[in-house]
Amino acid sequence: MTEFGAIAWAVRRDLKVAMRRRGDILNVLGFFVLACSMFPLAIGPQREWLQRIGPGVIWVAALLSVMLALPRLFEHDHADGTLDAMVASGRPLWALIAGKLIAAWLVTAVPLLALSPALALAFNLPASSLPVLVGSLLLGTPVLIGIGAITGALALGLKSGPVLMTLLCLPLYVPVLVFGAGAVEAQAAGLSPLAHLALLGAGMLAILTLAPPVAALALRISVE
Amino acid sequence: MSLGAAQIGHGSFGGLKAASLSLIRGDRTLFADLSFDLASGELLRLLGPNGSGKSSLLRALLGLTPLARGHLLAGPSGRPLAPREVCAQALYQGHAHGAKGELTAIENLALAAELDGSLASHDVGRTLDAALDEVGLARQRYIETRRLSQGQKQRLNLARFAIGLRVADRPLWLMDEPSAALDTNGLAVLEALLGRHLARGGAAIIATHLPIAPSEGMARELHLDTFAPRRVREVLAELAP
Repeated sequence: MTEFGAIAWAVRRDLKVAMRRRGDILNVLGFFVLACSMFPLAIGPQREWLQRIGPGVIWVAALLSVMLALPRLFEHDHADGTLDAMVASGRPLWALIAGKLIAAWLVTAVPLLALSPALALAFNLPASSLPVLVGSLLLGTPVLIGIGAITGALALGLKSGPVLMTLLCLPLYVPVLVFGAGAVEAQAAGLSPLAHLALLGAGMLAILTLAPPVAALALRISVE
Repeated sequence: MSLGAAQIGHGSFGGLKAASLSLIRGDRTLFADLSFDLASGELLRLLGPNGSGKSSLLRALLGLTPLARGHLLAGPSGRPLAPREVCAQALYQGHAHGAKGELTAIENLALAAELDGSLASHDVGRTLDAALDEVGLARQRYIETRRLSQGQKQRLNLARFAIGLRVADRPLWLMDEPSAALDTNGLAVLEALLGRHLARGGAAIIATHLPIAPSEGMARELHLDTFAPRRVREVLAELAP
């Protein structure tokens, strides 16, 4: 099995499992929609306000939704012994993790991406800012999942793992949130969102190369 | 399988030598200065009371748990072995069953065998069916694994080893309580698999409480409690007249 084979194996496996647990996908989507709809209820239905806070709210909700799904990334595999089997298989662990992250992105982030334009319209955002919103989520969500994988691998097997993971993750998510929401706001203010998107893209490339090996290292420590 | 006869010679295990292994969990030494040899065609049964470090020893051989001291050497050459090299030639079955409860028996078996690299690209369906048949799970192949009983899950693990028999590159079997929850019939399947594995030159280390006797090959025992560190008081009591 080559590295590529190991990636494909993990993607296939995790997609198969996710298809048997469709409820988990719907839970994340439901949380995303509900979290977004809480803000108009709290702030009031003034159109200008909603338009003003829209990008930020959608980004925060997307970030929290991804986080809701992340503790499951390694925990189930750890509990049922399949994680041990993966480490003991002698296959490149980083490749297996990379496959898991790709599957997690497809299952968690892609539905959020698909739903975000509808929520943006509900917040009265102009149609012209929709591509920027989706684009920023497209570049930002892999970073969220990559950081979550590293912290999740570190916190694996600890009694307060999920809480600890949230506390570790959120500060690291700040730059993604700033540039993600910033891109949409820049567009709304008539400026070019390219600078924000470029920084997000750079972050994505960095995390794509760093997350699998670092998470693999953390997992080897966690399974001891 | 037409290639079966040609592969037997290549399935032979090169040998493993463990030199003065010590393992510490937390602040407790599980065993110290443990050494053993394992050659092709041999079965090593790890015995000892609960908590004597049987599972930990298996995990340590694979590098899943770090050893405090000692090292692993390759058979006759005496070359040091990295944990990753041991992983690459081992089939490991851990304490947990290692199957996804949401997937069916045959899906789990296919994924596990693919990861082991023991599934040839042709004839996948027939290989899987034959293995499930051999361990008596033919009728459960499309049942979700979480609905299987403990014994049936254990049989599913055996099916993975049955497929592993067909290829040469994982001649070292490491099994943690493979007999747990198995009925007498399942036990016979396990002993037959081990016998075939040893006969073709493989080797196995199993942690078990039952006197498993493979149909072929040589079985030896390793009592882990004899390597447990002795308390100072026990030593003093022995020295005292």
